[in-house]
Amino acid sequence: MSDPFSFDSYNAAAERFYELLKTFGGAAAAGGGARPDWSSLTGPLAGQFEQWLKMSQSSAPWFTPASAAGAARPFEAAQSAWLFGALPLGPAAAVAPEGQRVLELLGKLAQLQGQLVLHWSEIANSAARGFVKRLEKEPAARGSAEDALRLYELWVECAEKAYGETVRRADFCQLQAEIANTSAALLVEQRRQAEGLVRAFGLPTRSEIDALYGQLKELRQVVTDLRGQLTTPPPDVRPVRKPRTTRAKTAGRRTRPAKRSSRGSRG
Amino acid sequence: LSPLNPALALTELTARIGSTLARVHQARDVTLGSCARHAVWSRGHTTLFHYEPLGSGRRRAASRPLLVSFALVNRPYVLDLQPQRSLIRRLLEAGLNIYLIDWGDPEEGGRTELSEYVIDHLGGCVDYLRASHDLPDVDLLGVCQGGVFSLCYSAMFPARVRNLVTITTPVDFQTPQDLLAKWVQGLDSDLLAALGNVPGTLLNTLFVSLMPLRLAQQKYVRLLTGQLEQAAVDDFVRMEKWIFDSPPQSGAALAQYVRWFYQENRLLRGTLELAGRPVRLAAVRQPVLNLYALEDHIVPPAASAALGDRVGSRDYSEQTFPTGHIGMYVSRSAQEHIPQRISTWLAERR
Repeated sequence: MSDPFSFDSYNAAAERFYELLKTFGGAAAAGGGARPDWSSLTGPLAGQFEQWLKMSQSSAPWFTPASAAGAARPFEAAQSAWLFGALPLGPAAAVAPEGQRVLELLGKLAQLQGQLVLHWSEIANSAARGFVKRLEKEPAARGSAEDALRLYELWVECAEKAYGETVRRADFCQLQAEIANTSAALLVEQRRQAEGLVRAFGLPTRSEIDALYGQLKELRQVVTDLRGQLTTPPPDVRPVRKPRTTRAKTAGRRTRPAKRSSRGSRG
Repeated sequence: LSPLNPALALTELTARIGSTLARVHQARDVTLGSCARHAVWSRGHTTLFHYEPLGSGRRRAASRPLLVSFALVNRPYVLDLQPQRSLIRRLLEAGLNIYLIDWGDPEEGGRTELSEYVIDHLGGCVDYLRASHDLPDVDLLGVCQGGVFSLCYSAMFPARVRNLVTITTPVDFQTPQDLLAKWVQGLDSDLLAALGNVPGTLLNTLFVSLMPLRLAQQKYVRLLTGQLEQAAVDDFVRMEKWIFDSPPQSGAALAQYVRWFYQENRLLRGTLELAGRPVRLAAVRQPVLNLYALEDHIVPPAASAALGDRVGSRDYSEQTFPTGHIGMYVSRSAQEHIPQRISTWLAERR
């Protein structure tokens, strides 16, 4: 089991939380000590939320994992993989057809991203307007930490509502799918280019390794089946070679050896 | 609301966040898993584990096996996260003989197909258990996508399954509440299949994107400002570790799942075939217990409830729980009611 633990998510959430509190405080100050001017929140809140949406999902969830989850950004990697194009020497100095295809896909992706930004803007503005409207109906409070948390909860509720309304619409779903398909096509195209380059250096390609792996898998299965026929165990029963026990990461835990063990193994 | 006093609020909240972050640091090496188990069978990267009986369950250690099948998209140890939150432990305490399939990571190349998972891997586990227990059939418990696999297998090989329990299992993949289904309708499954193994982080991000502020912000803020004891922080970190410990997905299987289930809704429509064999819910005539959550944003309740109208069984029961998708495996309420419901239901049919 891998250890995907990271403090990034906690830190990012705390950072964003402080940013929101400062914005809330700014609205309070704008009221000059009397009733806060909540309407002044609309612009800053919308701007911050839009920025967060862009940062965390700028090319749809498929190929740009949310930064809040601490994940990598494959699209950026994909862009750098463009370096795997034909070497710009001699006839190859002209853009090769494969390179042209990658350029087209990158262009299309950029265009789709532009459309996505419009949705983020719409969501952010709708969320901020909804939040300000709700604030006017909220009961009075003293401005304590609990009040700040209540404001935060209200903000999340309004933001999720605005987000949910937009991302369920057919045009948004279609755009998401187009971005995902374009990103996938780009990765496939870049992989094809990389394979061409690898082949040019006389190295085995991923496709060739996959094919060999497939053959190896089939051969292993044949060997396992033949062994099974020799010892005639119950059909399709393949005990593992060694008992595998799980162990807690820090505290010890009782385990016991497998009752069955011997030949055969992972098919 | 009166003006917020930023200085006052910030001082107190900063203190709370600081002390909780220190607890999060302490929790980073929390223990995962609680019950002793050992591997008894494997195929490819799939391993079948047997759990040691517990308490009163020792008396019935040799009883009919219950084979638990989890989804491919997450690791199955969420079913045995810690002693207080362990569906498996509760089932063991109830005297059930538990086996669990761990699908592991897919083989290189991303070519493992759904039919292999269902027929060769799940089916291989069933055959192993039938042979080792000298039984014609076993009981299945499928969770989420593992429930879909269990349904498919039960429909294809009805004589090998005595009773079937499904938890948060989608059957209708196109219900109006299903945001995930809406997003994947336009996906090109051929391109998906060409990607090889798809990183687990990608699917994780997809799930977070269903409710990004709640799942990537609010839950952390609630933790950090909640003045929780160390034990509660430990629990949170355990869940986080599980949530983000996502195995890669075989591109071929993922593409088939997207196309056949989400885009074409074949299971519900009765048009699904695996390895050339028809998979018809009407062929599931075993007793079926269907458990699902009313606040599930991944598998909406209507998606699971659809099983009742399609399944061929005359002995069909269902029960709903006022919780979310993951709450079905780890919430206190689920721990109290679900294992008891399963063990009682199975006991009445053995």
